[in-house]
Amino acid sequence: MVLAHRMALESSLVEAEAIEATEFGELVRRHNVSGVPQTTINHGARDVVGAVPEHFLVAEIEKALKEAGS
Amino acid sequence: MEEFLDNGLKKQVLQVFEDLKEPVTILFFGSAAQCEFCEETVQLLTEVTALSDLLVLEVHDLEEESELASQYHVDKAPGFVIAGGRGEEIIDFGIRYYGVPAGSEFGALINDLLTVSKRESGLSEETLSFLAGLKEPVHLMIFSTPT
Repeated sequence: MVLAHRMALESSLVEAEAIEATEFGELVRRHNVSGVPQTTINHGARDVVGAVPEHFLVAEIEKALKEAGS
Repeated sequence: MEEFLDNGLKKQVLQVFEDLKEPVTILFFGSAAQCEFCEETVQLLTEVTALSDLLVLEVHDLEEESELASQYHVDKAPGFVIAGGRGEEIIDFGIRYYGVPAGSEFGALINDLLTVSKRESGLSEETLSFLAGLKEPVHLMIFSTPT
C-alpha cells in the first residue's frame, strides 16, 4: 500500500488511492476484489492480488500499459 | 468520543515524527449528507496531526467544496489527500486514502506522512528509472482491510 504511494510521490503521472474495502462495498464489487490487498491498475486493466514486491508491481504496471497501447 | 491513540501508541508515533522534515498537509473531505465513517476519520487525523507542528489538517466538505474536491480528485467520503507543504504552497503528489486508516492502515498512514515529509520514496533505482520514463498516467487503487 505504501509502495503505491511511494510511486505517486516520485511521479506526477502516478496517482494512488488506498481504499478501506469494508467501507466501500460497491467499489469492491465493481472491481471484483477477491482478496486483499488488491491493487487495481488503471481502473481494471490489470489486478494484482496480495502484497507483492516492488519489481513485481512495476512489471504489472508495464504490462497494463503495454496491453492498453497494443 | 474516546481517543484512538493511547499514550503508548502516541509515544511511538512521536518517535517516528522526530524525523519529519518538511511540512505536510492532510486535506480531508467529509460529507454532511451521508458518511458513516467521517467523524471517526477526522478524529483520528486530528489526533495524529496534533503530534507535530509540521503536520496540518484541513477539513473540507465534498459537496460544499466540490471544486476543491475535484481539483484533488476526491469523489468519496471519507477521503483525504496527503500533500507536501502547507498554506499557499501545497504540492499534490497523488496520494489518497478512502476510509478510516485504522489497524494496519494506521502504520501505513504514519509511514506515508514521514515519506512525504522527507520526500524520500526509498524506491529502487530500477523503479525510479521506470517511473521517470512514464509517458501515460497510472492510476492505482489499493484495496485493503484493517486487520
